[in-house]
Amino acid sequence: MRQRVVITGMGSVTPLGLTVEETWRNLLAGKSGIQPIRVFDAETFPTTFAAQVPEFDIARYVKNAADYSRAGRNVRFAAAAAKMAADDAGIEAGGFDPTRTGIYLGSGEGTLDFFTLCESIAHGTGEDGKVSAAKFAEMGLTRYDGLRELEQEPNMAANHLAAEFGIAGPTYSNLTACAASTQAIGEAMDLLRHGDVDTVMAGGTHSMIHPLGVTGFNLLTAISTEHKDQPWRASRPFDKDRAGFVLGEGSTVMILETLEHAKARGARIWAEVTGFGSSADAYRMTDIHPEGRGPSAAMRLALADASVKPEDIDYISAHGTGTTENDKVETLSVKLVFGPHAYKVPMSSVKSTLGHLIAAAGATELMTCIMAIRDQILPPTMNLETPDPACDLDYVPNAARKAKVEVCLSNSFGFGGQNDSLVVRRFVP
Amino acid sequence: MNRRIVITGLGTVTPAGIGAPALADAVREGRSAVGPITRFDASNHSCRVAGMVNEFDPSEGIRKDQSRYVKKMAKVMAVDIQLAVAAANLAVLDCGLPVGDAKADEPVLPTIDHTRFGIIFGTSFIPTELEDMAAPVRASFVDGRFSLKGWGTYGIPRLFPLWLLKHLPNMHACHTGILWDAQGPSNSLTTSDAGGLLALDEAARILRRGGADYMLAGGAESRVNPVMLLRYCLVHRLATANDNPAAACRPFDLDRTGQVSGEGAAVLMIEGADVAEKRGARIYADVLGTGAGTTTAGVNACDADGRAVATACRRALAAANVAPSNLGAVVAHGTAFAPQDRSEAAGLRAALGPAAKDVPVTAIKGVTGNLGAASGLAELAAAILVLRQGQVPPILNCARPDPEAGLALVVGKPVNMKSELVLITSNAIGGQAAAVVVRLL
Repeated sequence: MRQRVVITGMGSVTPLGLTVEETWRNLLAGKSGIQPIRVFDAETFPTTFAAQVPEFDIARYVKNAADYSRAGRNVRFAAAAAKMAADDAGIEAGGFDPTRTGIYLGSGEGTLDFFTLCESIAHGTGEDGKVSAAKFAEMGLTRYDGLRELEQEPNMAANHLAAEFGIAGPTYSNLTACAASTQAIGEAMDLLRHGDVDTVMAGGTHSMIHPLGVTGFNLLTAISTEHKDQPWRASRPFDKDRAGFVLGEGSTVMILETLEHAKARGARIWAEVTGFGSSADAYRMTDIHPEGRGPSAAMRLALADASVKPEDIDYISAHGTGTTENDKVETLSVKLVFGPHAYKVPMSSVKSTLGHLIAAAGATELMTCIMAIRDQILPPTMNLETPDPACDLDYVPNAARKAKVEVCLSNSFGFGGQNDSLVVRRFVP
Repeated sequence: MNRRIVITGLGTVTPAGIGAPALADAVREGRSAVGPITRFDASNHSCRVAGMVNEFDPSEGIRKDQSRYVKKMAKVMAVDIQLAVAAANLAVLDCGLPVGDAKADEPVLPTIDHTRFGIIFGTSFIPTELEDMAAPVRASFVDGRFSLKGWGTYGIPRLFPLWLLKHLPNMHACHTGILWDAQGPSNSLTTSDAGGLLALDEAARILRRGGADYMLAGGAESRVNPVMLLRYCLVHRLATANDNPAAACRPFDLDRTGQVSGEGAAVLMIEGADVAEKRGARIYADVLGTGAGTTTAGVNACDADGRAVATACRRALAAANVAPSNLGAVVAHGTAFAPQDRSEAAGLRAALGPAAKDVPVTAIKGVTGNLGAASGLAELAAAILVLRQGQVPPILNCARPDPEAGLALVVGKPVNMKSELVLITSNAIGGQAAAVVVRLL
């Protein structure tokens, strides 16, 4: 007999706020988090803007700030989000049953010491352009901070949370690009359903707003280089003039529990996660299957898992990156799954103002679905000025909208072809 | 009600050679594949030995169209990814599913539903190759210093367009999925040394919930590159016994000096027994139960009491419904980094209880070095082929076993197994531990 799984706590740091409520308020107001990059000097990069998390003091969220002195932005975001999620769920740091609690985080890399890497490479490069590893190491050994290097490993966010909160059960960290935290929450739900654990801290954290992150996406021409002077206009999901996504960063962490466990401790319940679907395109490295094979499979599987019909879905939180292909194929996929009803389901992309949080995107978007259910209002897709004939659904353009919202579908599709969808609904006992 | 999960295909590419039989032979014969680092000049690194895979071709042995794809993509596959693809190919070919005829335009695996075929890999973040960066970095210098402004103007255009994709931790599963048309769930777990076994844990769970019929569970990593080697040298995890590479990695030995980095990939085909039996597949082993735990001691620390390992092993034994005293053998992680070995031994003692003095414990990193995310499944594959013959091989290079281990370490010569039940465990310093209990068939 599988257990029902509910969300009892949420915490989030995003470019639009250092709390769930602040982010949500700004999203509804259509405020953009996209600004010139300030975390490093990007003046000469093809893309000079991103959506960055405002400065905050890690000491407000953790027992010992010194434990985080070498940690990357991703780890700090996760620590802050997790603390707020635990507080929101009414669980103290020592209050998690160590071996009956798990962690599942979609998590990216730590902050690379790019200067040391480049200077050590240059030191090791001979006239012939070949790099001597010995000369690289000669400089690297004196310049690199070993512990800071370790902090780059992608399981560090989970490791820090385990130490911070005394969580000793199963912990996982995954990195399936932009789908990671939707997948993390889906798999966390499965752990709970089968009674492997009672509680999971699940979500995502990531910052690719570092020189190699922006470099990599610029080389792939995946991120927008347009609207440099008005960066808030650069993220244009479903608009005819969309020209790529805009990098964001941040973390959203949720406390997931079995319903039984939540009830036993009298927890306040935000929502119930009822469906998870996961598929792969198995098509190409970066391109989505043009017929929407993978995304439509993930959505169908999630609906079936939740035992709901397309007509039951009140809102779709789109992956909606603002790249030409994604938005076209996502639209097509929704039509494949929803049939004529597709035109009646509002679907918006918060990436228009939040940017793309990559491994943290899915969890953050699921959070917006839960807030939409609470407040009966849908966040808008901003910058949707010129309709694209290939994107002809209701994207909640440019202004938040009051609506009946009981059941939502949240989509995430990653580079490399991973597709994941979650169904979340108002909790009804 | 609980679906029985079985292993039907093995694929490994390790320093001991290509294919699981090559690894098994090296383990059985106690032959170390650790050698001096020859791939690059490691003379300034404190550790200069490693387990290397020197020659392998991920485009070998597969259909022509697949081979073409691998050859075309090889330049955007870091070595970790190439190792993963090679091992996955071996696992699929080993599982006995018929491969379709490319000329007749058949699917790669015509007898299966490709939407019911998924992949979970344990992988790590892959550092950039120094050679790829050399020209862009040099072009970015202004007044003798590396300059970000210079990088933006002169560096970025000198890198190749798909540079980012060469290093992403989900590309192992991505390319494998494209090659074998695996349209089911695809995940990439970045949990360091525990990655492979956690991939098996998740893949088994997906099969149990009915989310797929066939899953590839794998792990792949290379730590034999200047950046990763430097990182682990800087935090003093690596062996310093450079003079005798074959004896450098000494799990549970009093004279151990640290880990030896390695590289490799190990992939298993697992499926529901219902599916495997119906198609008459050869079954290597039953996956009876998996378990996981985590250290709370800090991100660069090992629990003194081995709590993470103990939790993982206890959960796996409970899921398998196996009493410790019924185990025929334990294959430990045994990295030969003293704090990690001690923590693991404490965890195994706690999980095995009174049986700790009897259940034979072996480890194979003396043969391969630490294969990182690939280690747990490589060790499982070796166990399947070696232990099914009824004997537990000794721990290579464990000449003076640490008496404080308090375990029945297998030293010097093989011991007989009293059952076909085997526990395999892996753990990452500062993070995850994982364990699996299998029944060898």
